[in-house]
Amino acid sequence: MRIKLTSLMVDDQDKALKFYTDLLGFRKKHEFPVGAYKWLTVISPESPEDIELSLEPNANPAAKTFQKAMFDQKIPLAAFEVGDIEKEYAKLAASGVVFTTKPTQMGPVTIAVLSDTCGNLIQLYQPTM
Amino acid sequence: MLLAPYTFRNLCRARELLAESPEEHLSVKYIAREVAISPYHFIRQFEAVFGTTPHQFRIQSRLDRAKLLLAMGERSVTDVCMEVGFSSLGSFSDLFTRRFGSSPSVYKRRARSMVQVPGNFPQALFPGCLSLMGALPASAFRNFQEAPPSLLR
Repeated sequence: MRIKLTSLMVDDQDKALKFYTDLLGFRKKHEFPVGAYKWLTVISPESPEDIELSLEPNANPAAKTFQKAMFDQKIPLAAFEVGDIEKEYAKLAASGVVFTTKPTQMGPVTIAVLSDTCGNLIQLYQPTM
Repeated sequence: MLLAPYTFRNLCRARELLAESPEEHLSVKYIAREVAISPYHFIRQFEAVFGTTPHQFRIQSRLDRAKLLLAMGERSVTDVCMEVGFSSLGSFSDLFTRRFGSSPSVYKRRARSMVQVPGNFPQALFPGCLSLMGALPASAFRNFQEAPPSLLR
């Protein structure tokens, strides 16, 4: 058993692909049309063998309710590791990405939290120990 | 942009106001006032956080609700149109078709044929969505091992 795939619900797959590739710098791996939606995945160019991230449509009403509740409570639904969080924060903020938490030391990591414009908060983290 | 905690809360509240109470037709200006942000900054900040303007978000919320009501199959297309807050059946039908790829009446017929237990929607109507994996070609699974360079951008 291996962990090769994880997923995030997004409110618009085209918008999500643009955000996750153009702004976060991931690369599209798969894009297959399935009915009104797509099987859409991205990978990190820094570690393409690690894991695939599926950007799922949150068409299901239960998914929308869950996603909105987590967002309103400021709870991130995914976390991505970065090598230099201050640099990433400065670069992304300058590109118009909205952060709800600036780089902040929390125990053994420094974290920052951003909105992915698709209904999710995403935590960036840099291990500092 | 770093969002202050109170601005985050206010934008979340605005999102609720936009999605609720279609019968009240709260204007974007009114909602901006309700959450104590100038209309200009409200529209700009809302779009930066949610990736869509307040107006577009409201239209989308109405269409999503219409889709759910049509799938339940108890109301006519005209009733659903009015209930979610559209005043013109023509613009409702046009927006619905552009968003979901079929007209409200076609969608309703298709949904009704799939819903066997009222209120219990099949995944095909509202996929949730690792189930989409089942519709992929076999080649997709071979590619999971290693993405061909042509698929990377």
